[in-house]
Amino acid sequence: MKLWNHRKTEDLGGGWLPGKPGRKFRAGGIIPKLTAAWADRRGKIPGLPGYITENISEELIRLEDLVKIYDTGALKVLGLKRINLTIHRGEFVAIMGQSGSGKSTLMNILGCLDRPSMGHYYLDGVDVAAMGPDELSLIRNRKIGFVFQSFNLISRTSALKNVELPMTYARKGKRFREQRARVLLERVGLGKRAEHMPNELSGGQRQRVAIARALANEPPLLLADEPTGNLDTAASVEIMELFSQLHKEGTTVVVVTHEEEIAAFTERIIRFRDGMVVSDQPNMPRKPRQEKTGSAGMPGQGNTAVPEGEEEPC
Amino acid sequence: MLIENMKMAFSAIRANKMRSFLTMLGIIIGIGSVISIVSIGDTMRNMFEGLYREIGVTQAYLAIGYWVDDVRQSDYFTLDEMERIKEIFGDEIAYIDSRPYVSADAVSGRTTIKFSFNGIDYNYQEVQPVNMVYGRYLNEGDILGRRKNVVMDTDSAMNLFGVENAVGRTFRTTLYGTTEEYTVVGIYRKKLSPFQAMMMGANTEGGEAFLPYTILTWPNDYFYAMRIYAKDEATMDEFYNRLKHYVAKSKGRAPEDFRLNSAKDEMGQMDSMMGGLAAAVGGIAAISLLVGGIGIMNIMLVSVTERTREIGIRKSLGARTRDVMVQFLTESAILSACGGIVGILLGGGLVMIGGSLLGVQAIVKPSVVVLAVGFSAMVGIFFGIYPASKAAKKDPIEALRYE
Repeated sequence: MKLWNHRKTEDLGGGWLPGKPGRKFRAGGIIPKLTAAWADRRGKIPGLPGYITENISEELIRLEDLVKIYDTGALKVLGLKRINLTIHRGEFVAIMGQSGSGKSTLMNILGCLDRPSMGHYYLDGVDVAAMGPDELSLIRNRKIGFVFQSFNLISRTSALKNVELPMTYARKGKRFREQRARVLLERVGLGKRAEHMPNELSGGQRQRVAIARALANEPPLLLADEPTGNLDTAASVEIMELFSQLHKEGTTVVVVTHEEEIAAFTERIIRFRDGMVVSDQPNMPRKPRQEKTGSAGMPGQGNTAVPEGEEEPC
Repeated sequence: MLIENMKMAFSAIRANKMRSFLTMLGIIIGIGSVISIVSIGDTMRNMFEGLYREIGVTQAYLAIGYWVDDVRQSDYFTLDEMERIKEIFGDEIAYIDSRPYVSADAVSGRTTIKFSFNGIDYNYQEVQPVNMVYGRYLNEGDILGRRKNVVMDTDSAMNLFGVENAVGRTFRTTLYGTTEEYTVVGIYRKKLSPFQAMMMGANTEGGEAFLPYTILTWPNDYFYAMRIYAKDEATMDEFYNRLKHYVAKSKGRAPEDFRLNSAKDEMGQMDSMMGGLAAAVGGIAAISLLVGGIGIMNIMLVSVTERTREIGIRKSLGARTRDVMVQFLTESAILSACGGIVGILLGGGLVMIGGSLLGVQAIVKPSVVVLAVGFSAMVGIFFGIYPASKAAKKDPIEALRYE
């Protein structure tokens, strides 16, 4: 804990007190409101928000004693049981587990969609466990790119506009947004389909639009939740190839999946069961996978997209 | 960002055209009825003001108050008193007479027609100009010499003599029990606005004529009221007040016992009455606007529920609570403002068309239009607050999971 000393979470946290979930404590009170308002104001300044310190650490994600309790009224369910985990910059990680293993819960917390009940989550050097909804929105906007199982493109909105959206929320100028969105679509091999509506695109194409959108604000973390769950094998391979490519270019990619074939693309596999990490080991990318996909008839589009992307300075 | 929000709002409105139109309809009807009622009120007020301008706003009648119980003969006026007032207040009076007005049968050959005779001084033409087409107006000699000369309008001449140019023709009539022969010396043409013409129609039965007031009011006659035109509209109130005090003093009465109603006062009363009426009816019409607003709220609630997933996606991409809130507020405000604009076009258009059909200058005030658009947008925002805050408060995880 050398560099993320900018804010002391202990000051805010009822999180350490037993039997008193931090979330409830943080939800009210004056301090979160003030910090949220403060972050809000600071967020408008071009560049990084004020509360983000220069972080030269190799660690992008660091979870410390992370606990998530689901309060269903009658009984409390422990979703995550004291998770300790570190993901370095530039890693390509798969988080695996059966449904109910806690991987989705972790995914939501990693994606700053949800907050842990206790513990710390340092993302890019900042403890986001104590942040309010609007601060989290800012973090999601700048630090995280989401890729969902069901693509989650906004319907009746062109691919281009979908890719522009995170930049819109980052208050980027219109011209910049459009230019960058085109570059990104080009990079995922959909340069000619920028004006298409999501329902005019195939599943694989939609997912590539979603990846372009996830990259819009150059987030340090790309978070994919079952990104190939709704895709056929060929499209799945394309998408995973794209992730591999992005990883090679330096993006940190975390893929949540329950498919071994998908996890095989990654370099590190973290397995979950019953809200706990049961194994965490490096993974050697296996050649046979690619052979198999080659026979399945991989469309050229995915391949041509990659060299194009390399040329673009992103 | 605002432009982005407006684009998003328009695309959402377009996506559900029928639904959006039906929602707008409430506002269209509300704003349309408010605009048309207020505009009809304004038009009427303008029309009445025009009518009063025509009879002269400086005109006033001075008489003993009808509320005075012990009216004596000395409370009435004589021509001597009128002359004295003329001398004292000559600079401020444009015209004064004894307001004699008599109704009698006029007989010309076999034709007998009911005529109204209006006794005037020779300079009545200055305060109530008429457009002489044949002959001449009454002159000072007619008045002083009590000549039995009359001036009438073309319709009356037509009814009595069967011709418009009746200059030199004579008729008989009985005024105050004396039957005499009267000569027509001048004919004028009535100038009626299309609305007046429609309301009154052509005068095909009776007739009316001006004749010297000295025929109807003799020096020893007591008359009930004086008709006065002040010279200056700006100082008329003060002048009339002074005049009232003078007359009351000369009659040995309190000023409150005399009635001095100017046309301007009457116009003001009429105006405020009409304004009040229009405001009251407009207020009732505004209730329909409220109903329209509730319609917007209802459809926005549906929209928010339908688009839960979209809200979740937006939040996951970094939309803050406020961004979502503003997005939906913009949508409801635009929905409402569009309805407002259509309502204005509809309401204003109807009033304009109706006005031109009636030949009346229809008045749709820009201030009312601006107010209506602003108000409809306010309705949209007000009734959009609840749905928008509902959208903004959605939990992103729940929203993303929504099917």
